[in-house]
Amino acid sequence: MSPIDRRDFLKLGLAATATAAVGVGMSRIPLPMAAPAAAVRAGDTEPEVIRADDAAEQPRADHDQPSPHHWAMVIDQGKCVGCDLCLAACHAYNDTPPNISWSRVEEVEPTADGRRVFRPTPCMHCEDAPCVEVCPVGATYHRYDGLVMMDYDRCIGCRYCQLACPYGVRHFNWEAFTGPNPDVPAAGHPEVPRRPRGVVEKCSFCVQRIDRGLAAGLTPGRDPDATPACVVACVYGARTFGDLNDPESMVSIALRQRPDAYRLREELGTGPRVYYLPATPTEVSES
Amino acid sequence: MTKIATIKTFVRNTVLPALRQPVIRFMLGLGVLMAIGVGAALVVFAEGLHVTNLTDLVPWGLWISIDLSSIALAAGAFSISAIAYLLHRKELRPVATTAVYVGFVCYSIAMMMLLLDIGRPDRFWHGFVFWNIHSPLWEVTMCVGLYFTVLLMEVAPIIGHWEPVEHRFPRLSHRLGSLHALTPYLALIGLCLSTLHQSSLGLTYGNLIARPIWSRPIPMAVSFYLSAIVGGIALVTCISFLAPHLTPRARVNKVTLDKLAYTVGWAALFLLVVRWWDLMSMPVNYEPAKSEALYILTRGRLAFNFWGLEILLGMVVPAILLLVGSFRRNERARILALALVALGLVAYRWDTNLVGQLVVFGQAPGSDVPLFTNYTPSLIEILTATGVIAYGLLAVTFGVRYLNVIDHGEVVEAPAEAPVPAAMIPSSSR
Repeated sequence: MSPIDRRDFLKLGLAATATAAVGVGMSRIPLPMAAPAAAVRAGDTEPEVIRADDAAEQPRADHDQPSPHHWAMVIDQGKCVGCDLCLAACHAYNDTPPNISWSRVEEVEPTADGRRVFRPTPCMHCEDAPCVEVCPVGATYHRYDGLVMMDYDRCIGCRYCQLACPYGVRHFNWEAFTGPNPDVPAAGHPEVPRRPRGVVEKCSFCVQRIDRGLAAGLTPGRDPDATPACVVACVYGARTFGDLNDPESMVSIALRQRPDAYRLREELGTGPRVYYLPATPTEVSES
Repeated sequence: MTKIATIKTFVRNTVLPALRQPVIRFMLGLGVLMAIGVGAALVVFAEGLHVTNLTDLVPWGLWISIDLSSIALAAGAFSISAIAYLLHRKELRPVATTAVYVGFVCYSIAMMMLLLDIGRPDRFWHGFVFWNIHSPLWEVTMCVGLYFTVLLMEVAPIIGHWEPVEHRFPRLSHRLGSLHALTPYLALIGLCLSTLHQSSLGLTYGNLIARPIWSRPIPMAVSFYLSAIVGGIALVTCISFLAPHLTPRARVNKVTLDKLAYTVGWAALFLLVVRWWDLMSMPVNYEPAKSEALYILTRGRLAFNFWGLEILLGMVVPAILLLVGSFRRNERARILALALVALGLVAYRWDTNLVGQLVVFGQAPGSDVPLFTNYTPSLIEILTATGVIAYGLLAVTFGVRYLNVIDHGEVVEAPAEAPVPAAMIPSSSR
């Protein structure tokens, strides 16, 4: 063995420094696997704010396990008057910027006797969701109970899901939402943190409320604290929410009573979880 | 005073004569455009994507079109490499070197555009860590990343032969040069990876049921793949023909290139058939959103691009120029024809990207009947895009001038009449 000459020593030193630098650099990259499980950060003043990645803490869909719940929303177009109270509640509880609405209320064809008809369109939480299929990084995914979720820590902002969504309910944060939320406190208080610039967001069926309610032993759809904010906010009772696996839930009853319920663009085979009851009921020949 | 005098002499003796050379001025101009582009890109990174004219209804615009086009134009790298090394057409090996360098530049353009376009550029690596194997875009991400590595290894010997590297770091130069032994294997890997992602880029649009005009997976994948090969080979051949006119450093074998050009001529006709099969065979009865999109493409806003740039200038005119011998032997005509094929490819990608997004169906209030929307790139999008393209031109110019990427051995002039028998084509070295 010849002694190490200066040249080799310098090379070794350089290599070691480079490796250390890469190591330090890597350790600064946040590894999503190691995301803290804590619900509330120490500095947060409002303890009821749930972190965005809490939803990501919920297990992803496992196709061997049957889903324990089959959440669905039923919207009665005969009762909706297009007052946008649901949107105000959504803006407040989910702290969305004024230019992003997780659900939109649009006026559609009036009835035969001239009554105006509206159609609220939240995320359909499709059973076979095109957005889940196409997201290159799996940032949008099916939760264990089938709801379509966003992992804001994983989204790269490629906006492919926006092209894939047949309902146009996915919104990109073109700029950061700073400043006050005009719907707070009139319509409610934020329950989730704001999303950063550059990620896609969408209606979550207020999973934070569902999860918190279930943990407290409440029934989503029946107890307001466990029910999506838009459903609670609707003073006309146009929106109902619940578990289709439970035959006595509001949605199961509504769908049993109204066989004319329909879903949007059903021919695409996406299997939306949002059902609509037409403003003019078709003749029911059930009995 | 002496310092100023030295600077003065330097300017008088070195800078001013250099500035008199058109190519230096050309490169300086490109450098200025690049600098403006970098500034605009910094604005985009600092301000976010709201400085663009993209919307939730048209989320993929100019940058994605350039990204698609440059990936497609880079297809010459894998296809010529595959012909040269896997089909053992030795006379194409020097052309493959050119193709690989052009491909490398094109892929770096594509990656810059993607980095600008995604909302969270700090998370560009997520695709490699978080896998969604169902997504065509994930496959594209993986393949582009891996193929860029392949291209790096193929370009390494070229860098190794660069004079400063050769003189100052002879061992490094030798190491890089030794990678050349891997080329046949890299050609095979490149063929596999490129086939995967060039077609998956078509599938990226083709599997979207939300946009009826795109929703035809197989035709989209096939036409993206085939058009990329033709356009890519056309671009490499075009640059090779063009380079000797601009610098004596470029040496080409015109017999080989002439054969390639002739092949591109037939391929342009073939593309016309593919495009016809793909688009014109769509049903004539009304289908919501699909019929509207077809209207935009054939009679509406994109009609000039479609009929003029894609069909006429991109396929019909080049086919005539390249297949009729008297036209093809005219140097200007064949360079023009090859450039037109590449232009047609860019137009095809631009039209394909936009046509699905300009029709809104069910995605916005009132769009139960299909509505039309609008997209014009903003100034900042155009400036960044110009900067990135300027980088590409600068990199190719640099490659031709200093890296000898267009050195196809001895200059062989094509004979005026009969083509040279294949046996007489010199097999060049390196």
